[in-house]
Amino acid sequence: MGIENLAEKAQILIRSRLCSPNFIFKPLSDSTDSNYSKLKFIISSSIMEACNNSILLLGPRGSGKVAVLELVLSDLLEEYPDTITVIRLNGLLHSEDNSALKEIARQLCMEHHLLFSKMASFDDNSQFMIAMLRECGLAHKTVIFALDEFDLFAQGKQRLLYSLLDAMQTVTSQAVVVGVSCRLDADQLLEKRVRSRFSHRKLLFLPPSKEDVQRLLEHILSLPMDSSLACDYAAEFNEKLQSILADKRFKEIISNYLNSNSTTNHLLRFLFIAISNMELKSGFLSLENFKAALSSIQRQPKQECIKDCSILELYILVCMKRLEVREQNSYNFSSVMKEYKSVHDSFPTSDYYAQNVCLRAFEHLLQRELICFTDNRGHSQSIEFRQVKLVVSYAELQEGLKSYRSCPAILLKLIDR
Amino acid sequence: MGARKTPKSKAEVLDVEFSPVSPDQSETKKRRRGEEKEKGENESGVRWGGEFEVGDDVYVKRREDANSDDEIPELEECRVCFKAGKAVMVECDDCLGGFHLKCLKPPLKTVPEGDWICGFCEARKLGREVQLPRPPPGKKLARTLRDKLLSSDLWAAHIESIWKEADGSYWFRGQWYTIPEETSAGRQPHNLRRELYQTNDFADIEMESIIRHCYVMNPKEYAKAHDEGDDIFMCEYEYDIQWHSFKRLADIDNGDEEGDDSDIDEDWKSSKDAEASSAHELAANSRKGKFFGLQKIGTKRIPEHVRCHKQTELEKAKAALVLAKLPKSLPCRNKEMEEISAFVKGAICDNQCLGRCLYIHGVPGTGKTMSVLAVMRNLKSEVDAGSIRPYCFVDVNGLKLASPENIYRVIYEALTGHRVSWKKALHLLNERFSEGKRNGKEDDRPCILLIDELDLLVTRNQSVLYNILDWPTKPHSKLIVIGIANTMDLPEKLLPRISSRMGIQRVCFGPYNYQQLQEIISSRLKGINAFEKQAIEFASRKVAAISGDARRALEICRRAAEIADYHIKKLSSNHNPAPEGKGLVGMSEVEAAIHEMFQAPHIQVMRSCSKLSKIFLAAMVYELYKTGMAETSFEKLAMTVSCICTSNAEAFPGWDILLKVGCMLGESRIILCEPGARHSLQKLQLNFPSDDVSFALKDSKEIPWLAKYL
Repeated sequence: MGIENLAEKAQILIRSRLCSPNFIFKPLSDSTDSNYSKLKFIISSSIMEACNNSILLLGPRGSGKVAVLELVLSDLLEEYPDTITVIRLNGLLHSEDNSALKEIARQLCMEHHLLFSKMASFDDNSQFMIAMLRECGLAHKTVIFALDEFDLFAQGKQRLLYSLLDAMQTVTSQAVVVGVSCRLDADQLLEKRVRSRFSHRKLLFLPPSKEDVQRLLEHILSLPMDSSLACDYAAEFNEKLQSILADKRFKEIISNYLNSNSTTNHLLRFLFIAISNMELKSGFLSLENFKAALSSIQRQPKQECIKDCSILELYILVCMKRLEVREQNSYNFSSVMKEYKSVHDSFPTSDYYAQNVCLRAFEHLLQRELICFTDNRGHSQSIEFRQVKLVVSYAELQEGLKSYRSCPAILLKLIDR
Repeated sequence: MGARKTPKSKAEVLDVEFSPVSPDQSETKKRRRGEEKEKGENESGVRWGGEFEVGDDVYVKRREDANSDDEIPELEECRVCFKAGKAVMVECDDCLGGFHLKCLKPPLKTVPEGDWICGFCEARKLGREVQLPRPPPGKKLARTLRDKLLSSDLWAAHIESIWKEADGSYWFRGQWYTIPEETSAGRQPHNLRRELYQTNDFADIEMESIIRHCYVMNPKEYAKAHDEGDDIFMCEYEYDIQWHSFKRLADIDNGDEEGDDSDIDEDWKSSKDAEASSAHELAANSRKGKFFGLQKIGTKRIPEHVRCHKQTELEKAKAALVLAKLPKSLPCRNKEMEEISAFVKGAICDNQCLGRCLYIHGVPGTGKTMSVLAVMRNLKSEVDAGSIRPYCFVDVNGLKLASPENIYRVIYEALTGHRVSWKKALHLLNERFSEGKRNGKEDDRPCILLIDELDLLVTRNQSVLYNILDWPTKPHSKLIVIGIANTMDLPEKLLPRISSRMGIQRVCFGPYNYQQLQEIISSRLKGINAFEKQAIEFASRKVAAISGDARRALEICRRAAEIADYHIKKLSSNHNPAPEGKGLVGMSEVEAAIHEMFQAPHIQVMRSCSKLSKIFLAAMVYELYKTGMAETSFEKLAMTVSCICTSNAEAFPGWDILLKVGCMLGESRIILCEPGARHSLQKLQLNFPSDDVSFALKDSKEIPWLAKYL
């Protein structure tokens, strides 16, 4: 087997690891303090003791809330087959009470092989849900409601949450509501009477610490010795990997990357690109792969936008900047044109274009969101007369001009003044 | 046969004891064979004339050619001396064999408490060969009916109805019981020896085939049964013969749901008929409030953990603190409950029965709905006793209605059972209440309407509330409205014509103070030694200081018990022998629970967030102090960040990354910000006091220089 073949296999293996949350979060879940074991304890104790619970999983995006929840659910489904029904809702899709209840009824019907009717009314569905909760409770079955984007359910009258949590106050029901939200104040959004019924268990998901990151990197990237991969290849791969991981430059790259956002998901995305960059010829990871990944992932879109502008567009941006410097806070295309003209009068160059050309350039800038309208009013007005604002800041513009390949010197001078 | 002498027996009530092997439904009870309840087995004549009634449980012959009654011994014989005798016998919990106390070796004086296993079973368990005493020659061990039933030579059934056929024979419709061996799952390890399942199988049986009574009880009754004789059985589950699934019988836990049960049973029957008649299946979730196919739900096997679980003190405490559990007594609300019951009684006991209206208000979790329902339960028992006239009771929850107008429909359906559109319902209700048109005798009863979450019925022109509150003022309405809401001044916020109709009689449910909360918690935990006394006091003081919400207090205690339980279980699973700790829930657990419930987690998140986020937050605080303005724009902030970075030899990450960091913080609402598309125009504001930020970031090890800017 050629080294390329092996390398490809290794690449596929690591990529598939990166895409499976089970692999990533399993090793982090052993200790007693981990959210995994806490969550599992709460849910399994409500299965065992036939009681109701409601839990909130809070934490920034990408910290593995849903992944851990899914891990727990899959474990519990294995442990207690036939006794768990999982209803999954997403706030983005089902924040409206009617559609949420309909979806709950649909999933309940699916799970229990009942016939579902989409024509059922709100009342029918909510009564059906309560009846089902009761029946499931009598049959020792637990219904787990996983509400992703929980904060979005807390809009409006919160009928869904109220009827769910109120149904859970009856003896026979056996249900767990798990809310997942990135808003830390999600429980404060609940109405008083809903909050009073909520049994405030909160689990906080935090980004991994430095040591955890190191452990995670090793766990993901090192190849197993006892797989279809040739043993000596795996050993060499792991050896090279160890030297990279110990490298100071590598640590710098990682910490530089994680400086902006240290969540697990963010790290995984980076690793995915790095792995994809792996050279199949040599067959091993190198520091270069990570460097390339960093530069390809840390982009500066506004800066690049400026780099892509035409000279005329730059002129317009600079003119707008000059207007703003003069504390002229409201201006539109006409006033920008006036400024453009006066600039041109004092420093005549060949870059003077007719007004309709300038308007087209102005529209381009609007589309690229380098400038924007100050308000949403005046849709009926033509573009020339609507007030605009510069979106990029002074410093960005200046930097952009400096790094522009053939920026006219006059522009640099104009912006400095 | 005939009446036997009653063996004297102290009615010792054994506490239900728990043991890992035998489920807690008290196989531990010793049943002393004694007086049979039914007397006239041999009273010849038409047995079914008076002896068997609807609702009785009976043994039924399995085969026509089964031997007649005379061979069936009424009394079980002792396994040692093979005489039925009158002396007290004790039952082995394993083989169900009976033994005279005096025949045992060594003889027992009294029936022992707890499990008792005969010497034979004990020996068999130890793996020894056992020689059971042989019956004396010429006499074979007679099997009792119970033996026969449990070895499926007999059947048991529940009499549903009795009638007389044209040819003069009596028949009854029976609901079969089945023994665990005959179910698809077979006998499961947790099944009790005397356990039966109720099936959903019915049959018409001739009365002739009845042998005699047996007694099938639910676990609670069974646990109390001591001297009921040999023919008692326990039934906790229903077995669906079509789907081979089990389901708990519903009315075991609380009696007040019986009404629902009958409805559901009817649904089942009708759905079965419907399924049989029509080829296509019916949708489960719609069909005018009837649900089809619910009988499919059921476990294939009864999970073992439900029945063979030995509860620890902590688990008992948790179970007692569950909100769903209806406490036996409702402490601290006697005054209010008296007031409500006086109001209701006054309203219905009037001969005229003028309509009235009561407004109940109080913050959530102060027991408003619970008290009203408790009052209604008390009244219902009084109605049953005959001291007050019957009335009908309708319970509506404002938040469970799809729209306020739907309330008419719900009320009308509750009163008459018909489903109509809300406009039609309004018309009919108007007819009934304001014009006094009554159709049947039933309609003449006073009607009590309980509206929970009344504030949800407020529409723009408030017509729904007006209509509902106007009916009681009509002379023949006989309608009593009880409204429940959180706000004290709801009537005042409404139109004057409504507030004048509603706001006259009010009951206020104040928040509980800490003594009351303490009483509520301790009343639930009575007999369970799981909490330290100060812990309860601490929790109740804390809740009383914040909201006075009883649900909160209970939840805190439950959470604390859960935390304690978690630690104990984890410890015992990690290290081999659990340090037999106190096992009590103490202050630290309650503290942790309170912290989890009331503390926003932002400080923890700020501490663990990425380096740039920390710098970002510090810059925001710095900016706030510098300008004194709470709100700042991203442009200004980015300038500050770049200044901070350059003066501390930190690489400035670039505007776009900084913007992303800000948006991340905004997502978790640590700061409030506009959408990121606004870029440098984006407005930012801290969502928490700047002191919290300073506190969180002051001693960050990663970036010690940050403290300068806080």
